[in-house]
Amino acid sequence: MSERRPEGAVRRKSLFMKQLPLQIFALSGIAYLVVFHILPMFGLVMGFKNYTISSGIKGIFTSQWVGLKYFKEFFHDYQFPTLLKNTIGISLLKLVFTFPLPILFAIMLSQMPTGRFKKLTQTASYLPHFISWVIISGISYQFLSSTGIINSLLLKLGWISKPIGFLTDADKYWGLATVLDMWKETGWWAIVFLAAIMGINQEMYESAMLDGASRLQRDWYITLPSIKSTIVTVLILAIGNLFGGGLSGSNFEQSYLLGNSMNSRASSIIQTYVYTVGLANGRYSYATAVGLIQSVVSLVFVLVSNAVSKKIAGSGLF
Amino acid sequence: MSLRWKMKPTEDKILDILCYIFFVLVIFICLYPFYYIIILSFNEGIDASMGGIYWWPRKFTLENYEKFFTDSKWLRGLLISISSTVLGTIISVFFTVLVAYALSFKDLKNRKFYMTMIIVCMYFSGGIIPYFSLLRFLKISNTYLVYLIPGALNIFFILIGTTFFEGIPGSLRESAKIDGAGELKVFTRIILPISKPFLATAVLFIGVGKWNNWHDCTFYIQNNNLRNLAYLMMQVINSTQVSATAMEFGASSTTTTSLSIQTAAMVVATVPIMCVYPFLQKYFVTGMMIGSVKE
Repeated sequence: MSERRPEGAVRRKSLFMKQLPLQIFALSGIAYLVVFHILPMFGLVMGFKNYTISSGIKGIFTSQWVGLKYFKEFFHDYQFPTLLKNTIGISLLKLVFTFPLPILFAIMLSQMPTGRFKKLTQTASYLPHFISWVIISGISYQFLSSTGIINSLLLKLGWISKPIGFLTDADKYWGLATVLDMWKETGWWAIVFLAAIMGINQEMYESAMLDGASRLQRDWYITLPSIKSTIVTVLILAIGNLFGGGLSGSNFEQSYLLGNSMNSRASSIIQTYVYTVGLANGRYSYATAVGLIQSVVSLVFVLVSNAVSKKIAGSGLF
Repeated sequence: MSLRWKMKPTEDKILDILCYIFFVLVIFICLYPFYYIIILSFNEGIDASMGGIYWWPRKFTLENYEKFFTDSKWLRGLLISISSTVLGTIISVFFTVLVAYALSFKDLKNRKFYMTMIIVCMYFSGGIIPYFSLLRFLKISNTYLVYLIPGALNIFFILIGTTFFEGIPGSLRESAKIDGAGELKVFTRIILPISKPFLATAVLFIGVGKWNNWHDCTFYIQNNNLRNLAYLMMQVINSTQVSATAMEFGASSTTTTSLSIQTAAMVVATVPIMCVYPFLQKYFVTGMMIGSVKE
């Protein structure tokens, strides 16, 4: 393809043809999205129909309409209150505990002289972020089961008389999910806040020091207000994800991997329910309906929080 | 150093000490669990199930690894994980970068429409059941393609990549084009070499995502010969969780348990990540920043 043409000829060609190679790049992506994202959205009609897998893909469109039958069924299901409580509750608990810690960690890191020790701390703190929940649940098992290292240590020290059922006690599941999330993601989220702190004008600190402001005062009156917009953005991101799986989107993986028959009262959430009734039990229409409720509600959360973010912080995600 | 320390107010000294204590704790809490799994993997399984190992293997053995590397199930899973991660990452990064590059041209015709479509796909999806039906219809489900096709285009990285490429001065592309280079040539010869931070971030994240992925295998594959490492580990965890007394011994002449072979598998799955991410650190920190400053 040669671009060395007389000015007029180039101008006469339509913009689309002139950009043909770029358009091919972009359109190949759009074609992929149409097949693998937009087409499945049409599959959502299954939720309003009496669909059985035996009727194949055509059955999605030919099967009988049942209206809101499956939606009503979900709201009347005896598990509905539990699922809703767990879905929102776990996310909220994570929001309260896993959100402030990275800010604190980033402030501490920013005040530390650059060197090997700082580098080691940061590198170590990201490691859990890159490890899959499968391995983390395997590690949790080795640490927290009744014969795990923590229980045997506590027994040996005589602090407890019988093993604590971290993994089997329903009352401990929410705490377990939150603590594991804190462990996995604190170092990671700190990167975002640390980047914001690095952008603060150093002169502000110098003049504050001349005025005799102590270190904590500087953190409180300079650092925190200066990174306010980052904090608000991440906070709103987290609120937008309340229904979708928590700040780091880990609710499904945790619930699937750490949930068991003994703690399911506290660990089962809407996403795991969709998987169980749909793919494991083969109730396609019902699972599609439940999944649709979940996606619509989380979309509303995202849109509202994004609008609020634009208003408060002046920037949104889209 | 010592002079600076002496000049510090007492309050600062106390805070410094608290910070250092906190950092030592962070390092310990983040690294010890992995260290513990490593020493367990070098300990005899039956002996390990009695507990009391904290710092060093008590009965050193390589048997867990021998079992892991001679069991066809685990070995096949490992090979599937390696091949699907390498292939899947190449496909996904290539495709994603190409689309992101095209979208970074502000005057691209229909750009607004393309972007809207991407945003819609990012925030709304049909969910797993319609997706599963589609994969079944396309005869992709229950084949190796499950590891390559879902996620071949990474929407999040399209957005980050678009922002990144927008930051490359247009004059750079123009001058190459005046010299007669086509769009593809400009892209491979000029754009890609200066996009290393973004490419490294994309390779790391997409690669780690593929390596760690157990759900695609769980949802869309039933053939037990197509299981990847992450799925096989998940299986062991699920079976040990249900039976609270997880004392599943292997053949009588062995010292391993299903859990101790699992620790070897966990080490095999973790070591590649541990070896790679520290070196890409400077790239992904910039990569995260590109993502967060995006307007």
